[in-house]
Amino acid sequence: MTELANIQRWLTSIIVKPGALNDKIRLADDYYNLDNSEVVQATLRQTSAQKIEIYARGYILRLMECMEAEYPAVCKLLGEELFHTFVRAYLIEQPSTSPDLYDLGKNFATFLKASQPKNTEQSNDFDLPVELAILERALAEISRVKGLEGRTVKPNYLNDLLYLFDTTNIQASPGLILLNLSWPLAGYVKAVYQTQEPVIPGKKDSFLAVSRNHYRINFQEIEQWQWCFLQSLQTANNYTEAVRIAAEQCAIPQDTLMADLILWISVALNFGYIYKNE
Amino acid sequence: MSITDTNRLGLPNLGLGVGLRSKHYSHLMQNDPVVDWFEIISENYINNFGYGRHVLEHICAVRPVVMHGVSMSIGSTDPLNLGYLKQLKELADFVKPVWISDHLCWTGVAHLNTHDLLPLPLTLESLQHVSDRVNQVQDILQRPLILENPSTYMEFQSSTLHEWEFMTELVNKTGCGLLLDVNNVFVSGFNHGFDPEFYIRNIPHKAVVQMHVAGPTDCDTYLLDTHDQPVPTQVWHLYKLAQELTGGVSTLLEWDANIPEYPELVAEVQKAKQVMQGYIPEVPVHRTPYVDAVSNPVDHQVQITHD
Ligand SMILES: [Fe+2]
Repeated sequence: MTELANIQRWLTSIIVKPGALNDKIRLADDYYNLDNSEVVQATLRQTSAQKIEIYARGYILRLMECMEAEYPAVCKLLGEELFHTFVRAYLIEQPSTSPDLYDLGKNFATFLKASQPKNTEQSNDFDLPVELAILERALAEISRVKGLEGRTVKPNYLNDLLYLFDTTNIQASPGLILLNLSWPLAGYVKAVYQTQEPVIPGKKDSFLAVSRNHYRINFQEIEQWQWCFLQSLQTANNYTEAVRIAAEQCAIPQDTLMADLILWISVALNFGYIYKNE
Repeated sequence: MSITDTNRLGLPNLGLGVGLRSKHYSHLMQNDPVVDWFEIISENYINNFGYGRHVLEHICAVRPVVMHGVSMSIGSTDPLNLGYLKQLKELADFVKPVWISDHLCWTGVAHLNTHDLLPLPLTLESLQHVSDRVNQVQDILQRPLILENPSTYMEFQSSTLHEWEFMTELVNKTGCGLLLDVNNVFVSGFNHGFDPEFYIRNIPHKAVVQMHVAGPTDCDTYLLDTHDQPVPTQVWHLYKLAQELTGGVSTLLEWDANIPEYPELVAEVQKAKQVMQGYIPEVPVHRTPYVDAVSNPVDHQVQITHD
């Protein structure tokens, strides 16, 4: 290995590894056969270790701010101290390997899930931060996907009634995210975004649609049949087929579902859950 | 004072600009941008097809835009990330930037990205390594790469070149351009005990394409590049000197944390005009007793913009 490569491995390992600074430096010195005081020039004001510390501390603080920006609701729920503990552990287990900071928080929900205590009776309650993280990641993703904007979407009909019955070419919007969670969490996240005091909701099966229309991000709890219909539309990519599957899943007669859909379709178009393809 | 003839690699002096930040998106969609040009953080838009991309498209239509990256890691001993360079080129096809810049630094090895701008030992080995990579990148991007001097908090005992010498040799070997961050010269000068004016007098002025000004933080035993304050007096002095020596180049104010409202941001960069007429603002370097100040703040890159 060249001297440059060795120094870079030495410094990277000190920055990203856990532990007390002096331990990390000593381990890296041993492993890479270097002596920090001979690598880094000390000055009157600072020792070599103090200089290294600026980078080691800055690394965590900088990425912590990114995680706080992506997961404000999880941070609110856990409290800053616990949130920071989890983020530190996450960054140690899964340090960034991407040029893109957007990828940094990608696996945070999975990490939180894996960090849960195993085999405890009320282990389900530990899913609350996990589900919040899933929702917040979905919001980050929907804000950046290639969405409906810029596509040629069929213009609204002059005759509204005709429009409602014309279901051909209705498709699930690109990027639409459907979440089935154990708590209705949309209100909690909205309160955090509006810097209001959020209320932890009671446990209740929740069907969420996360979408974007005209660059506006929407996330709403919807009815189970609506959710099933959208999910079927995503996979079947055919309106009639989606109605059939959703009716079967929700044990609703097909014509009842169709009638309900006709009333709901304009709402779904408005929120950008679905669109009419040319 | 002798004024060097301007070259700037044939690139234009765009005037006074600011960084495009999500905090100002809705303001910029409804108001005149006022400033002459914008700099974007390339990584913020590479995989972003949401509102940010929409605002960028609007800005590109009304003002010149420059792409400034933080993840090229030109000094890393890892292989160049060709996937990243491809994405950068795709973004350039969309933005049509006046130039593309990054930093003279490395961000990690073994495929890790610390998202920091780490310093290089300034040796002949590093110089050869970086030069080879700059040439490769310039071949891929089909344009000169513009490299910025980072703020640094450590120097390596193995270094045999001063940073200004390293920059000069790099320009000679590759024909790359320089983004002179006068605030970074001020910060590094304090941290390592060199004279920032000497630094600025000894870089190849013809290669300077752009300048950065920003406000650092005084952490008592060192200065930190926090981009969260007004530009202090000392940095304006260095700016004036550098503008005189280069014959005038594009100027950009960096403000990445505690970002003010847009009109205040514009007022700050426009101080550069008075500075060039000799009126230097009296602004002390911000001091903090806290140890949680962050250099190169990047969280503005992941903030979701809610309409
Ligand atoms: Fe800079």
